[in-house]
Amino acid sequence: MLEVKNLSKAFGNVIAVNNISFFVGKGKVFGLVGENGAGKTTTIRLLATMLKPTSGTAVLGGHDLVREPEKVRGIVGILFGGESGLYDRLTAAENIAYFGELNNMDKHTLKERIKQLTKIFEMEEYINRKTGSLSKGMKQKVAFARSIVHNPEIMLFDEPTSGLDVTAIRNVHEFIENCKNEGKTIIFSSHSMVEIEKLCDKIGIIHKGKLVDVGTVSELLEKHNENTLENVFVKLVGDKNES
Amino acid sequence: MNLKHVWIVFKKEVKDIARDRKTILTNILVPIVLMPLLFYLLGGGIERMGKDITENITIALSVSSDTEEIRNLLKNDIFAGNPNIKLLEAVEDPEEAVRSERVRFVIDVDKDYAKKLEDGLPFSITVTYDQSNTKSSGSYRIILDSINEYNQKIVKERLKNLNIDINILEPTKVIQKNVAKEKTGGNMMLMMMLPMLVSILMAVGGIPAATDLVAGEKERGTLEPLLTTQSGRVSILLGKYLTVTAFSIVCVISQFIGVAIGFKISPNFLIIGGTGTNNGFNIPPLALLLIVIITITLGMFFSGIQLAISTYARSFKEAQTYLSFLMIIAMVPAYATMMLQPGDVRLYMFFIPLLNVIASLKMVLGNIINYTYLGIAFGTSIIYVVISLIFAASLFNKEKVLFRN
Repeated sequence: MLEVKNLSKAFGNVIAVNNISFFVGKGKVFGLVGENGAGKTTTIRLLATMLKPTSGTAVLGGHDLVREPEKVRGIVGILFGGESGLYDRLTAAENIAYFGELNNMDKHTLKERIKQLTKIFEMEEYINRKTGSLSKGMKQKVAFARSIVHNPEIMLFDEPTSGLDVTAIRNVHEFIENCKNEGKTIIFSSHSMVEIEKLCDKIGIIHKGKLVDVGTVSELLEKHNENTLENVFVKLVGDKNES
Repeated sequence: MNLKHVWIVFKKEVKDIARDRKTILTNILVPIVLMPLLFYLLGGGIERMGKDITENITIALSVSSDTEEIRNLLKNDIFAGNPNIKLLEAVEDPEEAVRSERVRFVIDVDKDYAKKLEDGLPFSITVTYDQSNTKSSGSYRIILDSINEYNQKIVKERLKNLNIDINILEPTKVIQKNVAKEKTGGNMMLMMMLPMLVSILMAVGGIPAATDLVAGEKERGTLEPLLTTQSGRVSILLGKYLTVTAFSIVCVISQFIGVAIGFKISPNFLIIGGTGTNNGFNIPPLALLLIVIITITLGMFFSGIQLAISTYARSFKEAQTYLSFLMIIAMVPAYATMMLQPGDVRLYMFFIPLLNVIASLKMVLGNIINYTYLGIAFGTSIIYVVISLIFAASLFNKEKVLFRN
């Protein structure tokens, strides 16, 4: 489980994340939806301990974000959007192993885990090939495997479908569904209302660093008396075309 | 900091660089091939040029002074001692003949030189040559020396005929006394080139690796996932730092393998000069060890600076731009002290990064072993390494810098 408590982050005078709080239970997917620069990536970076909060904290799997950042990193997996973020000159197996080793996995466990992941993601054909020579779809699978090599309790997805084609987007959705079925706690940020609606149990609408509303899709629709999530979003953050 | 994580990062980075054909080719293999080629071409070129200047010096008389008598004067008197000087047919247009390189010199001698010589009067020898032509200007000294020798011979003969002691021409006699210690000296070319090469290479050798390891990772999107692992930032940085240092050392070694092969192919290239009585090196093991350590610490110092710059840069290109300035900064003291002799080395130099390595190398290559100075260079080098590491680590830990983009 994951609980965010009054989390804030300021960069000089700019408040990127402003006193946000929410809770995500085990095996649940929490969707963070917002415009560009709303504070989604900063929130994910804060939860992944890449950034230090200006105030507030979060508890991830029983570990405090501020006081135990290393322990938090041990139970968190992260997947970014866009490029796969793999080392082209290393093989798929080496890419996965590197992250396993840095997450303190012992050699034997790591070897077995790579075998298991190879099977799960059907990477047998190219697991020993350099990732620079792989197709986008293959690279994506390697990136998935790498993000969960240490079997994290919590998964953070930072706009993972951004810039991907339809097949690749489907792969990401399937991966998220699988993580959910394994009981992982998931935070998923996106621009797309469709995928947020499809995948998330609970949604947080973030605007100018503030979490302007949180709830399930039906709760939000009912509360704001709208028939689509998009309308709710526009109602809460305003339509740019109107201004 | 976790040493296991440092080792994991180091191993991975070394593997990654070792598989980068472009980096290996341009930074390690090319110097091994290029240096011997450079030695061969430059060494051969210098040798050829030397031969061209001293051998086959062609001379022609102007038509106006082409008499049997003058030909004999040149052949049997003035240039008699130099078999490399060849007297060719007379030319009508001396300037054109020299410019078109048909002959290297055209000489015009006073027609009535014999009478003037007999009367004890000076006669003129006009030498037409081309100052802009290396062969012509280089050989001019040889022609002049031959004429001077002839002058001296005539003067001595005249004094003898007048019963005057020829020692009157030499009121002073120079006796050389070199205060340099017997072992001081060494090879001048090596003393000039080696400290400069070592300091520049150690300072800039790690640049390709440093650029790739932080700025490159930022650009490729591999740094962010790395920062979410259980490895702390200091461990990641140290792993990368050791890689950059190792890479700069390997680059220096490859350059020296190239130099060694080049030296084998063209041994005369570096054997120029010699300031003392002993052209060999006699470096005690402790001094050699100190020199190696001091040189490596220079690489470590610059690796820290390079990583800090690479961390600050938003992209690979930006890092390359900043680091090219570092190259220029490193080159200034290296070139400024190129002509410095071991005896010119001053204490303050051992306190300044880069200069301390150059000064130590110059001193030791000049067979001057001063352990106090070497100790100072070693101590200050360690301090600079620590400072550069702290600087790099502080930038790597700064969110504002690391996530500038």
